[in-house]
Amino acid sequence: MRDDVLARVRAALAGRERFPHPGASPSTARVTPEPGDVVDRFAASFQAAGGEVVRLPDVQRARQWVATFAAELTGVAQSPLLPPALRVEVPDAPPEQAELGVSLALHAVAETGSLLLSSAEGRLLQLLPPTHLVWVPVDRVRDTLAEALGTEAPADVSALALHSGPSKSADIGRIVVTGVHGPARVIAAVVG
Amino acid sequence: MDPRSAHYPRLARETLEQTPGVRDAVTQAALAFDAHRLRAYGEVDVDAWRRWAEQVKSHVLTHLDTYLEQAEARLVEHGAHVHWADDAAAARRVLDELVSRYGVSRVVKGKSMVSEELGLNDHLASQDVEAVESDLGEYIIQLLDEPPSHILGPAIHRTLDDIRRIFHEVHGTAPEATPEELCAAARSTLREVFLSADMGITGGNFVVAETGTLALIENEGNIRISTSAPRVHVAFVGIEKLLPRWSDLAVFLQLTARAATGQPVGTFVSLLHGPARDDEPDGPDEVHVVFVDNGRSRVLADPDAWEALRCLRCGACLNVCPVYRQTGGHAYGYVYSGPIGAVLAPGLLGLSETLPLPFASSLCGACAEACPVRIPIPELLLAWRRRAVDEGLTPRAERAAFRAFSAVATRPGLYRAAGRLVAATGGRMARYLPVLGSWESVRAPLDPSGGTVRRGPRHGGAAQPSDSDQTGAPGSEVEPAP
Repeated sequence: MRDDVLARVRAALAGRERFPHPGASPSTARVTPEPGDVVDRFAASFQAAGGEVVRLPDVQRARQWVATFAAELTGVAQSPLLPPALRVEVPDAPPEQAELGVSLALHAVAETGSLLLSSAEGRLLQLLPPTHLVWVPVDRVRDTLAEALGTEAPADVSALALHSGPSKSADIGRIVVTGVHGPARVIAAVVG
Repeated sequence: MDPRSAHYPRLARETLEQTPGVRDAVTQAALAFDAHRLRAYGEVDVDAWRRWAEQVKSHVLTHLDTYLEQAEARLVEHGAHVHWADDAAAARRVLDELVSRYGVSRVVKGKSMVSEELGLNDHLASQDVEAVESDLGEYIIQLLDEPPSHILGPAIHRTLDDIRRIFHEVHGTAPEATPEELCAAARSTLREVFLSADMGITGGNFVVAETGTLALIENEGNIRISTSAPRVHVAFVGIEKLLPRWSDLAVFLQLTARAATGQPVGTFVSLLHGPARDDEPDGPDEVHVVFVDNGRSRVLADPDAWEALRCLRCGACLNVCPVYRQTGGHAYGYVYSGPIGAVLAPGLLGLSETLPLPFASSLCGACAEACPVRIPIPELLLAWRRRAVDEGLTPRAERAAFRAFSAVATRPGLYRAAGRLVAATGGRMARYLPVLGSWESVRAPLDPSGGTVRRGPRHGGAAQPSDSDQTGAPGSEVEPAP
């Protein structure tokens, strides 16, 4: 079967003009530049996609903020890759029961309002809890998606994901509903 | 799916006679999608993106054998299994073997046009395997036992009231339930399915040959969960879905979303590299990628039609099409509808099986302007029409009409004048444009916007989104997929 498919493709292309790859991708800059620095632009585009953004000047303030934010919670699914200082002081729960999932972003992307996440921390904690909190060290915010994805795919993880705001659908009467399957709230907490 | 494209005029008439609300529902949804696309295109140097993307896809298609082999090698290095399917029957046999190997009794599906093309749901049902669609729109039409009517919004032909009725029957929700309440009912049912399914089945938006990356774009998160929770993930991917390089992804992901829903990027993008690694907390143990031909190599061999294989399945050409908006997708009688369906279906299925479809267009050219990979759809439609005439497949009257029409259509000034005439005569002239007459007879006039067909609402004021979707009106999934 494999060889049959490839043979038909080769026969289809026999004697045909072969087009070259055009090379580097075009600029993705906006026609009208967005105001602010890269973190401001990330915040604006992530919020436009329905996400929430919290700016925290240092780890100390981050710990204070999250202690209040998670005060009422009873079960949280946390990435094993979180630095100890950013762990939430709430008992662990499996992702399907947790009220909150907590991740550490590989990058945040200003032009698309996205968080780049790794399967190394577990995928379901990014997807099943109704609220997803993603820590973003400020030096991980990038202007473009191309910069965030880098020049090569990471070899050691099975999945990367971009999350740009909460789960949403307009499939019912064209009315936008959030939290369809994944989190209804996504909070990017930018630290530093 | 059993193609019924040969019956387009009858199906179009039936749609308009039997379900008169469809025309308004589809038109409003399509115009909202299109307004978002136009805004999103205007924010970037979209012509440079489109020219570059066209060249990348033309490159990959004219080197497809090399890239397929490279993709296969990289996928295998990641621990994924690669299968090849000549046609739909072969693809279903691959699935049967996997269902049997893993003892699968329940499958959760992410929206996939190629899955519709292969008839996977009916096939699984015939094997006593429960297959549940997890995209909200797909879930709705599965409850209604209908095929999708739009690449992105499979249920756009259904109103809120239609959906309230079926959810009331199935889920016992209140007759006046809000969209949020309907969504919550679907969410809780589907959450249980995600966690109990033995297998997740998806399509694929791209496979990057250089890195063996399977890329999937969506808005709901159901595809991410379907590819993460069950222990087996199977992706059915058309052989034309390849991209050469990892560095090609950033623009293709953004271009697809801007063309489809006007978003900067789909809400969720999965970039998958085989099964879960040993040190990862979750993810599938087994990943299978099935490369599906099913007529694509025949389209590739066609010196005209091959360009349609660049298609990203964004749906932009459907939204902008004044003919598609009359009926939605069902009348086209095949999984791919609208302008792209009218050029793809004859290539995939054969011209005589799909004959009226290339005539289901006013050749206004809006589709080519909207297409993110610059597929020259009107030229391809004309090529199919010419062949139909040359091969004696069209009745004499239609041949005459076509000759007259193409004489007009090849002279842009004259054609625009004819378009204005159609509007001015309240659609009566439409019967001289082949096929368009079939719906004109049910509900004049030709153009719902009141503008001319060619100028259409793209340049008028009818394309404003309603309050309810000004945040970007995401479809269920930005799948070029399939």
